[in-house]
Amino acid sequence: MPRKVTYVFPRMGYSYAAFESFFQILGYDVITPEPSNSQTLKRGVSNSPEGMCFPFKILLGQFLKVLEENPDKYFKIVSLESYGPCRFGYYSPLYAKILKDRGFDNFEIVNVEGIYPPWYRGIPRFFKKLIKLIGWHTPWTGVKAFLIAGWKVYAIEQLERKLYYLIPREKIVGSAEKAFNRAFERIHHAPNKVKAIKEVLNEELKRMDSVKHVENVELPKVGLVGEAYMLMDYSNNLEIEKKLAYMGVDVDRSLWVTNWTLDRIIKTKEHLNHMLEVNKGYLDFFIGGDGQESIMNTILYKQKGFDGVIQVLPFGCLPETVAKQILSNVSEDYDIPVLSLSFDEQTGEAGFITRIEAFVDMIKDRKAAKVGKKKSTTVASQ
Amino acid sequence: MKIGVPRGLYFYVYYPMWYGFFKSLGHDVVLSVPTNKDILNLGVSNAVDDICISVKVYHGHVKYLLDKRNVDYVFVPRVVSEDKYRYTCPKLAAMPDLIKSAFNKDSERILSVNMYMNQGKKPLLDAFGKIGEKLGASVKSVKKAVKEAMGYQEKAVKCLRKGHNFAEIVKNIRNLDKLFDEPVKERRYNVALAGFPYDIYDGYMNGDVIKHLEEANVRVVITDMLNPKLYKHYTKYMIKDLFWHQANVAAKGGMYYMDSKDIDGVITVSSFNCGIGAIYEKLLDLYSKETNKPLMHIVVDEQTGDAGLVTRIEAFIDLIRVKRGDGLVAS
Repeated sequence: MPRKVTYVFPRMGYSYAAFESFFQILGYDVITPEPSNSQTLKRGVSNSPEGMCFPFKILLGQFLKVLEENPDKYFKIVSLESYGPCRFGYYSPLYAKILKDRGFDNFEIVNVEGIYPPWYRGIPRFFKKLIKLIGWHTPWTGVKAFLIAGWKVYAIEQLERKLYYLIPREKIVGSAEKAFNRAFERIHHAPNKVKAIKEVLNEELKRMDSVKHVENVELPKVGLVGEAYMLMDYSNNLEIEKKLAYMGVDVDRSLWVTNWTLDRIIKTKEHLNHMLEVNKGYLDFFIGGDGQESIMNTILYKQKGFDGVIQVLPFGCLPETVAKQILSNVSEDYDIPVLSLSFDEQTGEAGFITRIEAFVDMIKDRKAAKVGKKKSTTVASQ
Repeated sequence: MKIGVPRGLYFYVYYPMWYGFFKSLGHDVVLSVPTNKDILNLGVSNAVDDICISVKVYHGHVKYLLDKRNVDYVFVPRVVSEDKYRYTCPKLAAMPDLIKSAFNKDSERILSVNMYMNQGKKPLLDAFGKIGEKLGASVKSVKKAVKEAMGYQEKAVKCLRKGHNFAEIVKNIRNLDKLFDEPVKERRYNVALAGFPYDIYDGYMNGDVIKHLEEANVRVVITDMLNPKLYKHYTKYMIKDLFWHQANVAAKGGMYYMDSKDIDGVITVSSFNCGIGAIYEKLLDLYSKETNKPLMHIVVDEQTGDAGLVTRIEAFIDLIRVKRGDGLVAS
């Protein structure tokens, strides 16, 4: 009899609900790691190499905690990774080596890699890994799992967008968040059918709309760029989006699971060409990670009329550090304030809040000054 | 014309090639001075604060050359890949962009081109062709210059394989044949240095590891002296090849030295916040547990004090002396 396996996957933001149903449709047990807390961080930091990227430490800590708590189960640890200039490509071999070194042997790592050259090896390897991930099922079950997971990710993102739209506009503080939590739980536990998910989504969007709020107010707009994992996982970026929203700012995040997948996996070539075109003169080469995206999105945000940009990066991230240096020039040339926040295990919440508060104050002042100038010119012309 | 070549990063790998090329075209190569406190300060003040010290030092060297009035161009190549499907770290792949962003006013004087190394002659001809065009050289002379450049690089690699280190090659660049004929000095102990050439050979940055070791009667071998064919099989231990050529050299070369009997110990040299260093150091850590070879990591940053490093190197030498049964250094 084959051994019963339990799946563990890297937890990222609210998308864990989709991952969970992905494995449930395939008929596997699945354990979701807890959101980052002092316990997982401590485990991760003390077991990983000192200079390794912060997301690696976070994820190692989460996996370690799950493995420690369930010594009687056999795990398949899912690691989605690429092969490129970014260190993300070498996560799974290091997980395997470090966990073995710690004395665990009840696990196996399934790394789903993209296709990388040489092609004649890359394509078979990709399918081998894919089969290892989903196991032997009818093709229809596999497709269904991907489809449902995709829909759930989409639904959750719609809800999140609505939440960050409502928070700065709500009349009773906290009412939007309450509605969102309820809606998220309903999507999380929605039956695994496209129709059902659609229905729940529409219902909940309407319900969130009925939260008492003020329409037609002009708020300062802040865009978030940076490293995908830190940007998308609320437990590690200290809920930066929610904090900004409560400070009365319209937040827009540049990377979502859906557009990330679309850009990186489906329309790779167009995306890369678009980036090189926008970044011309600033960064003319592929450097992996999300460094190019950070620069491109900052420029695009300026063109869309945003008032400021915050770059979220884990300390020591290779592509983002490059972007950080170049962003200082972009900021100067395009006249848009950019704040780079690097996160590591020592980031304290109080200092962090002070910095974003100062940034938001500055943006509000700048906006007021601009509006004031416009008004005064109109008065003068009259 | 005078072409400035900064003494940093890939200077410590491809200098013979660049020297040969510019010399053949009839240009003077101006090197920046070996790293010193002023260069480091120039670099630290011009680069972003969380980047690794090697890149900061490189900024310093570029600034030093840009400040020299009589240098017409400063050569800042973008070394994209060093083997088929083996590339360089994102910071190095973005080097010309970083330099242009840091020294915006002087961006006209920066000579940059994408280079693909060790993949035959064609990519090199393309790259050097572009430089030649900018310098106003004819296609024919560029072809001749590339041939000469490759000849220089081959000679340098030959010297490396024989056991001469790169610092000697830089010193004897005019007469590499003579260097090749010189015998390599044998010493009582052998210690291997694993790491990126630009961290190992920059004496100011790493507290002169090589000099201190040689004073203690240790012969220093370095991972770039190895022929890549020797350590091919370590891919299996690493599960998957690393994406970066130099990291592969450091990791696999380090493992090769750990397995070889005549090496007494391995020291890795890397710069603080060099992300890739973290990976190969961990791999070597785990491997040293299996082979029981002494291993020490030296991580340098701009605040590293010389005294602390010397103490650590001395302690390491004591360790290998005791292992050989020679006892501690008489104090």
